[in-house]
Order: sequence, then C-alpha cells, then structure tokens
Amino acid sequence: MSIKPTKRKTAVSISHFRMDFGKKTVVKDLSFEIYKGEVFGFLGSNGCGKTTTIRALLGLYQPTGGELLIGGEPFSVSSKIKLGYLPEERGLYKKELVIDVMVYFGQLKGMSKLDARKQAEIFLERVNLTDKAKTRVDKLSGGQQQKVQLGITIMNDPELLILDEPTKGFDPVNRRLLMDIVEEHQKKGATIIFVTHQMEEVERLCDRIILLKDGVSCAYGSVAEVKQKYGNASLDDIFIKIYGDENESNEEIS
Amino acid sequence: MYNLGTVFNFEFMRTIKKKSFWIMTLAFPIIIGLVFAIIFFSNQTTSNAAENTKNQKFSIEVTDESGLINKELLKQFDAQESVNKQASIDKVKNGKLDAYFYYSKGLDKKGVEIYAKDVGLFDNSRYQGVADALIQTSVIPTVNGETGAILRNTVKFNSTTYRDGKKFDGIKELIAPGIFLVLFYILIAMFGNQMLTSTTEEKENRVTEMLLTTIEARTLIVGKILSLIALAFVQITSIIVPVVIAYVFFRTQLALPNLDLSNIPINPLRIGIGASIFTFSFLLFTGLLVAIGAVAPTAKEAGGFFGVIMIFIFGPLYAASLFISAPNSPLVGFLSFFPLTAPIPLMLRNAVGNLGVADSLVGILILAISSVIALTIAVRLFRYGVLEYSNRLSLGVLFKKQLKK
Repeated sequence: MSIKPTKRKTAVSISHFRMDFGKKTVVKDLSFEIYKGEVFGFLGSNGCGKTTTIRALLGLYQPTGGELLIGGEPFSVSSKIKLGYLPEERGLYKKELVIDVMVYFGQLKGMSKLDARKQAEIFLERVNLTDKAKTRVDKLSGGQQQKVQLGITIMNDPELLILDEPTKGFDPVNRRLLMDIVEEHQKKGATIIFVTHQMEEVERLCDRIILLKDGVSCAYGSVAEVKQKYGNASLDDIFIKIYGDENESNEEIS
Repeated sequence: MYNLGTVFNFEFMRTIKKKSFWIMTLAFPIIIGLVFAIIFFSNQTTSNAAENTKNQKFSIEVTDESGLINKELLKQFDAQESVNKQASIDKVKNGKLDAYFYYSKGLDKKGVEIYAKDVGLFDNSRYQGVADALIQTSVIPTVNGETGAILRNTVKFNSTTYRDGKKFDGIKELIAPGIFLVLFYILIAMFGNQMLTSTTEEKENRVTEMLLTTIEARTLIVGKILSLIALAFVQITSIIVPVVIAYVFFRTQLALPNLDLSNIPINPLRIGIGASIFTFSFLLFTGLLVAIGAVAPTAKEAGGFFGVIMIFIFGPLYAASLFISAPNSPLVGFLSFFPLTAPIPLMLRNAVGNLGVADSLVGILILAISSVIALTIAVRLFRYGVLEYSNRLSLGVLFKKQLKK
C-alpha cells in the first residue's frame, strides 16, 4: 500500500452524474472525488456503469446530467493534463509495426518523434519485447498486444492514469509487472484510477475505492473504511455480499 | 487542428509502405501498358504480314470484260490475260494457278469474281487486295484531281463554330473543365473503398477510445482525408507519367493522335465553376463515407451502404446524353440539384458548356451546404458511433441525445 497524500487536492470530481442510453439509465446519480496522487479503485459488477463513467469523464460520452471534471474542468483533448488511458476495449492498428504504432500515439500525446521512439524502446526492453519492435501488431500474442497498449498508455509519463481492467487476460507474471508499473507511477505522483474485479489488486494498490451497483454508489472511502463498514470482512466477501444476489438473479434469468 | 500533421504523416506513410497500395497503383498503368504493347505488336505483326504478303509473288490470270483495267498495270503485276474463264478456274482448282480475277461487265452490279488457292484465313485477303489495287490504280488516275481526292477519301474538312458571336470549339472547350469530371471519377473509383475502410478501421481495431482521448475526431478525419488526397496524387502521377512517356517517345509506333495542347481554350469562369463543383462534391462524398463508416460496425457492412451512395453518385452517367441534348428538361434539373446526384450532371454540363452561371451558383451552393452538413454530421457520428463497436449506431438515440450538445 502506498503512502496517502498529505495534501488532499482534488484531481477528479464527479458530481450528480447521470447517464441514459435511450430509455435505459446506466448511471443514476453518482458523486465522488479522487485525490491527487492516490490510486483509486473503481469497482463493481459487469454493466454497473464503471466504463460508462470513465468514458463520460473523458468526454467520449455526453452525460445526461451532472458534472465530470478533471483538474477542475471538463476534459478535452486540448486539456493540458497528461493523460494515460487504457480502455476496457483493447485494440491497436493491427497491420502496423509495433514501434510505428507506439511512436504515433506518443506523438499524438505531444511527444517529439525522437522521444516517443526512445520511450517506446525503453518500455519494449522492459517487457522483453525488443525483438518485436518491427513486428506487425497482429503477429503478437494477445498478452503481448496488451503490453504494447500498456506501454502506449504510460509512455508520456501521465499525471492521470486510467486503467480499465488492465490485468484482464494477463498471466500472473505480467500481472505483477503491471502492478509494479502502477506503483512506480504512483510514486512519481500520478493519480491512478484502477478499474478491476481482482480484489487482491485492490488490496495491494488502492488507497480509496468506490463500489457501484445499478448505477449508484453503495460504498465509498478508504479500503479500511469500506472494510470497517462491512464488519472488517475481506474485500472478496464484501464484493460477494453486495453483488452476490445480482449474480444469483442473473443465473436465474439465464 | 493540433496533431493534424502527425495524423497525415501516419496515414500517408503506412499506406504508401504497403505492397497492396503499389500493386493497386501500378496495376492500372501496367495493364494500360500491356494493352498498348499488345496493340503495338499486333499492328507490327499485321503490318509485317501485310508487307510480306504484298511482296509475295503469285501467279494471276485476269479476264477484264469491264474494260477498266490498265493493260500496262497487268504487266507490272505479272498477271496474264485470260479469255477462257472456266479454264482459268480449273487451273486454280488443280493448283496450277494461284488466283484468277474476273472483272465482269457492269462492275457496279456484278462486282469482281475472285477464284484463288487457299493460303489461310488471314492471307486469303491478299487476293482481294491485289484485285482492288488493280482496279483502283487503273481507274483513279483517269479522273481529275478533285474527284480523285474524293475517291481516295483525302478531302480535308475545316470547321469553325460560333457561340454568342465568338469562335467556340465544343470538343476543345470540353477538355479543361472536363478534367474535373475525370479527376472526380478517378478519385472516387480508386479511393472510395479506401476511405470507407480507413474510417471503419479504428472501430474494427477497437483503437478509437485511445485515439479520441488524444485527438479531436475532426482532426483525425481531416488528416485522413488529406492523406488520401496526397495518396491519390501519387497514384495519378504514377498513371500519368508512363502515359506521357508513351506519348512522347512511342507516339508513332502506337499510332496515337498528335495532340496540340497549345490551343486548348482556357475559360477561367468554367474552370472555376468546375473546380468548385469538384471540391464540394468530393467533400460531400467524403462526409457520406465517414458517416457510413461511423454507423456501420464493420467495413463489410459499410460496403452495402457504400454501394447505394455509388449508385446515386454515378447513376446519372447513364443519362449523360440527356444532360448534353436536353439540359432544360425537368429530370436534368432534378438530377443537377439533388445533392447526392448533383456532382456528375453539374460537372458534365459545365464541361459541355450548357450550365448557366445562375444554375452553377445554385448547384455550388447546394453542394457546399450539403457537404458542410455531411461533414459535420459525419464527425459527430464518428465521435459517438465509433464507441458502438459491434453495433450499428442508433441514429434515433444519437440525434435525440448527443447532437443536442
């Protein structure tokens, strides 16, 4: 667990966020804050509105109601904040070379071509993919592609790092590598939003968490506070307690 | 438009480095080159064969009942006069004589009878050539020069046509403004599909979210469009260069006409109108393709919509003669001013010179407004549609909720 920030400046603020898709309300009335320099766990069962909230936060969705701010203002690509975003929907330009794709995204994030190439090479060396730099993306395994996408996410040394289920599809070795990388960025002062279903990752990385159910918050606070609220149960037990009935009803439906 | 250059470079370089791009680019001039080569060698072979045939000596007997054949000429051809038609035919049948020509009395009705030894489908024509040469060379010099020229089909025709009191050469006038029509056709035919694939690619590759958090959708699309235009320039250059080389160095061998480009009329107004129609037509078409790419979940599904757009755009070509012959008909008016069908009729009518200034302005205005609307909607659709990875975008939801922004 990392050290809690002493000065609690707000990095992300979400207030009365509501999101409708047609007649369906995905997020009802969601409000929370994320402090600068903390790792914030964004938890909930599938379809509870986590990804929708992140997409709305990043301006990819226009919210039906409420306010979503990063650094005190709505996010746009012209915002000065250095963002690293690893979306849940993974993908890269499959027919291009790994190094070309990484350099392209680095340039889009405001890096010079030279810097982007240098950072890409450093990352590829770290994750043992140096020999794949000039390989087409679609020739890589799924795990290797995920590593490349992670490299793109962090190559600009982001102030705000949003990782939507980053360990999905990773083997234990790569999962550990990813968590090491997250910790490194937190030590550098980055604010990290971490979406996951893996409670051991939450235990290891997160300062504070929020649990969403049916588009509303049902638990919010530090990991210790949330545990205390549920009688010091483990996060796994809390998760099962909150979402167990949902899964049962889903099973009944199926 | 921050990062426009980055998008342009990436899109341009990744396409130009692909083998498939060069295969497509070079296939067209190579095929054209091959066709010309075949024509050239075919002409050469035919010419050589004709020369060989002409030089071949073969035995001929001639009966001239028409009285038109020059006797001296018969000697030059080593032809013998025959007075017994049947005997000469028998000689041919028995292989003792190669050919026998019978010029009957009243040639205009009865014609010339040729009896000859078979020497193959193509070489058999030599007999008719000689029979024809005998009579032409005998008769034409006996008529005076002008009639002879008419008989030889060598009379020249010099036409001067006028419009509004000024010289007007319809064909030459068509060339400069017509270039825009040709360019539009080439661009759409060669790049329509690439444009569609380009806009669906991010969606199919699930790369959109990362992109749209680093770059404006509008910048991405403009960068793609500019790169496609640059690629089109590369392709067109690749096509034109061999054609120019062929024209400059092999014009005679390929029997190409001698084009005098120095006196092509340049009408700035019509060229300006053509350029405006071309530009807005291209933007309209681009907007439509981007919109289709954003709405459809895959390039394959987008192809269906693309077909419909192509029918609208190029369908009017089937009524091309109508645009030239009846420019004031209601159908031509409708096709000229309905945004989806307008590009071809407007460009064609401008090229042939029957598009008035008022009609031009109305047409350009319609295309300009349509292209701005199409591109604006396309960017919005791309912005929101690309997150509907495997679903077709619900336009109802989009217009009700998202476009309110």
